[in-house]
Amino acid sequence: MKKIAIIPAYNEKDSIVKTVNDIIENAPDFDYVIINDCSKDDTLDICQYNGFHVLNLPINLGIGGAVQTGYLYAYRNGYDIAVQFDGDGQHDAKYLDQMAEVLVKEQADMVIGSRFIEKEGFQSSKLRRAGITYFTWLIKLLTGVVITDPTSGMRMCNRKTIEMFANEYPRDYPEPESTARLIRHKRKVIEVPVKMKAREEGISSISSFKNTIYYMIKVTLAILIERIR
Amino acid sequence: MITTKLQIILGILLILAFIFIVNMVRKRALELKYALSWFIMLIGVGIMVCIPKMMNMMAKAMGIYSPVNMIFFIGFVFAIVIIFVLTVTLSRMSARVRKMAQIIAMLSDDTRENKEEHSSTESKEGKE
Repeated sequence: MKKIAIIPAYNEKDSIVKTVNDIIENAPDFDYVIINDCSKDDTLDICQYNGFHVLNLPINLGIGGAVQTGYLYAYRNGYDIAVQFDGDGQHDAKYLDQMAEVLVKEQADMVIGSRFIEKEGFQSSKLRRAGITYFTWLIKLLTGVVITDPTSGMRMCNRKTIEMFANEYPRDYPEPESTARLIRHKRKVIEVPVKMKAREEGISSISSFKNTIYYMIKVTLAILIERIR
Repeated sequence: MITTKLQIILGILLILAFIFIVNMVRKRALELKYALSWFIMLIGVGIMVCIPKMMNMMAKAMGIYSPVNMIFFIGFVFAIVIIFVLTVTLSRMSARVRKMAQIIAMLSDDTRENKEEHSSTESKEGKE
């Protein structure tokens, strides 16, 4: 079975090497591909210097477009399993084999690494947790399925879902929306407990007040529209 | 009612606008496809300037007291429609640009692999 980790990277010069080495050491079954989303820092140089496999986007597409590039790559190169793995050092590669096992055993279409099942590791700020709880509630209201961590960026997909994401993936803040879409398409989404770390370097894409408001409204609308699609 | 003076001023403005748009199309700065809606607007305004009585009739028919209000209303609706079409076009464009960027990223990756390992590329190309 061909497995690949998709690492979207935007200005991750301080953490990208660690992230890739983590995968090489702790999840040797996984190939990896870095999607450099037109970083303004030396991310690309560092990747090339280290001989990492990197796809270089000529223009900045945002997290959704970058991750989708990875899915497109996985689809075109015949991968059976693809996992999103953040380039900022939040995720831990030792969970990947576990997630793949669950994905195969349960015949799931997507496995989400959730911070909030065992409530261990970095739990994010209170405000963020409130936002995440809101999305959990919204998805439950519209689909009846409980996803404890709908914003988790650590998600593993089977071939069918890779194809779906390669064709259609939200542009920004894609996680809750695409999860809702999968569930609406009667795909099986399950969660496994993982521990995450506080991001080591770089800043979250959702930091300013304006962005937060836009994020909440946009994702809410996206999930609602998904319901009537 | 519209004065003859205003009629002439509007007529000149319309002709200038027409020349400007045609010139933009000629220089390929504006696609004919998008120029069409502007031509339609110019013709519509042109008719109203030439036959002011029509404005009164139309306003009456639509139940609007003053022809000027009707002009504002129609102009507003027209502008909204064009802006809406623009955002639809923009959505399509950004989807296309995104796709292209992704394909470019992948193609340039293939090129790199070609340089590195000549042997394995052919079988790979065949699959896609």
